[in-house]
Amino acid sequence: MKWILPLATLLVFGGLLEVVVKSGLVPSYIMPSTTDILRCFVEERETLIEGFLSTASASVIGLLLSIVLGVSVAVLLSLSKILRTAFYPYAVFFQTVPIIAVAPLLVIWFGFGQPTVIASAFIVSIFPVIASTLVGLQSTEHSLLDLFQIYHAPKSTTLFKLRLPFALPYIFSGLRIAAGLAVIGAVVGEFVGGGGLGSVVDVARTTQRLDLVFAAVLVSSLIGLILVSAVNLLAYALLHKWHASLKERT
Amino acid sequence: MKAILFTLALLLTANVCEAKIRLALNWKPEPQFGGFYAAEQNGEFKKRKLNVEIIPGGAGTPVIQMVGLGSVEYGVVSGDEVVIARSRGMKVVSLFATYQTHPQGVMAHAERGFKSLKDVFISEGPLALQMGLPYALLLKKKYPQAKSKIVPYLGGISNFLSDKKYSQQVFVTSEPLIAKQQKQDVSVFLVAEEGYNPYATVLAVQEEAFKSKPKEVQAMVEAVRAGWKSYMKNPKPTNKFMAKLNKAMSPELFDESEKAQRPLIETAETKTSGLGTMTEARWKQLVEQLLEVKIIPNSIPATELFRNL
Repeated sequence: MKWILPLATLLVFGGLLEVVVKSGLVPSYIMPSTTDILRCFVEERETLIEGFLSTASASVIGLLLSIVLGVSVAVLLSLSKILRTAFYPYAVFFQTVPIIAVAPLLVIWFGFGQPTVIASAFIVSIFPVIASTLVGLQSTEHSLLDLFQIYHAPKSTTLFKLRLPFALPYIFSGLRIAAGLAVIGAVVGEFVGGGGLGSVVDVARTTQRLDLVFAAVLVSSLIGLILVSAVNLLAYALLHKWHASLKERT
Repeated sequence: MKAILFTLALLLTANVCEAKIRLALNWKPEPQFGGFYAAEQNGEFKKRKLNVEIIPGGAGTPVIQMVGLGSVEYGVVSGDEVVIARSRGMKVVSLFATYQTHPQGVMAHAERGFKSLKDVFISEGPLALQMGLPYALLLKKKYPQAKSKIVPYLGGISNFLSDKKYSQQVFVTSEPLIAKQQKQDVSVFLVAEEGYNPYATVLAVQEEAFKSKPKEVQAMVEAVRAGWKSYMKNPKPTNKFMAKLNKAMSPELFDESEKAQRPLIETAETKTSGLGTMTEARWKQLVEQLLEVKIIPNSIPATELFRNL
């Protein structure tokens, strides 16, 4: 059932799109039909695979940098109230940065190619990681903190054995958002830095190839889906034995 | 009662006669649209009972699709867009070609000593071109030994100013003039010199309009031609008007840009055939070039692409 319903939805919408376009209700230069998109997947597979690999690698690198730096910054902020008060509002504020507006500047700073694309993926994905990790680190149960204090546990032990594990569900919530955003950031970065699926979309728009635009957009969504699934898998591996959200009811 | 009905009928008739006609531009008000604004300013549209609203565009405004879909009645596009659109099933036709010579080119720093576009391509350094542009594909094919690195075109000239090895696509009536204002010594090579010369700033309409409102289409072309004639004679008042709409461009730049575009609009041919007129041979050549780089899958009869009115 878990697979059948989404598949049925896909088939219904795909069929509907095919009928609407092929019957001429919607012209094909406004919306490509399902079979046009599928044909494009076959005909342009080399371009799409090349774009997939380039965009996926930039998204993954950008996301990994966000995880490492985002979690580190959040830990740092959680340790000092002064730092937290000074920087946390900005972590929330910068989540709303319109990356499309700043992207051309990235080219000036990082040059054309992958560095700009990775920077763009990193910029949009780091702030949700910081914000949710920090909330997680602040949400440790007071009774447990008291227990660690009673036993004179050092700060590092409290952090690694209590606060970080307790923050994991929050961190993974942030990572799910960051994973999707990293792909968006990478594609926007490719609009200005070149390469990947961003360039495929750019060329397809200029040459009025809507089937290729849709195919490239679907491939970029696939990257997002893979990244979110990877985060979910990791979350399951780390949480399913003890956390209520993933622990199976007995 | 009769008087009321008569007034209502009169109002309705007036409304039908002067239904709003939307004319979408593909960029902001600049001298490349001078004739369209002059037609508005001098009452050329009104004289012909055309209630035209000029809608300025921006980066990526899909004007050709808007015309094809009927969300605007007329649009200003590039000649190659018309060919591509028709090959994708959009029944659009060109009515008036402002630029007889294609105004796009490539700008490089003069100190690099380039003599032609070929030199730009076979030398190292970034070359910013909008991805998928037909001439970019043609030139890449023409110069397979290219050493330049094609990078996305981002608009403006900030990258050009900061990198002496950087070359970029330009509208000869725009970026090179801005670069000169910034005290840059530049070389500009027209794409047309390399054999790719589609009409540009082309007035386009849906083919169906020739059946449903032939008089309006005829009047529209006449008004636009009259607008361009008067703009070429005396561009200052229209430039002043457009400068109010586009504050990013200085009044001086408006005047310089207008001077730079003159030879691209008025040619020996247009002096006899009239401004904006087109030839079948030029459209045919364009179709062949787009076929060559596989942007269009099948040939299109050139006669379907334009009408000289």
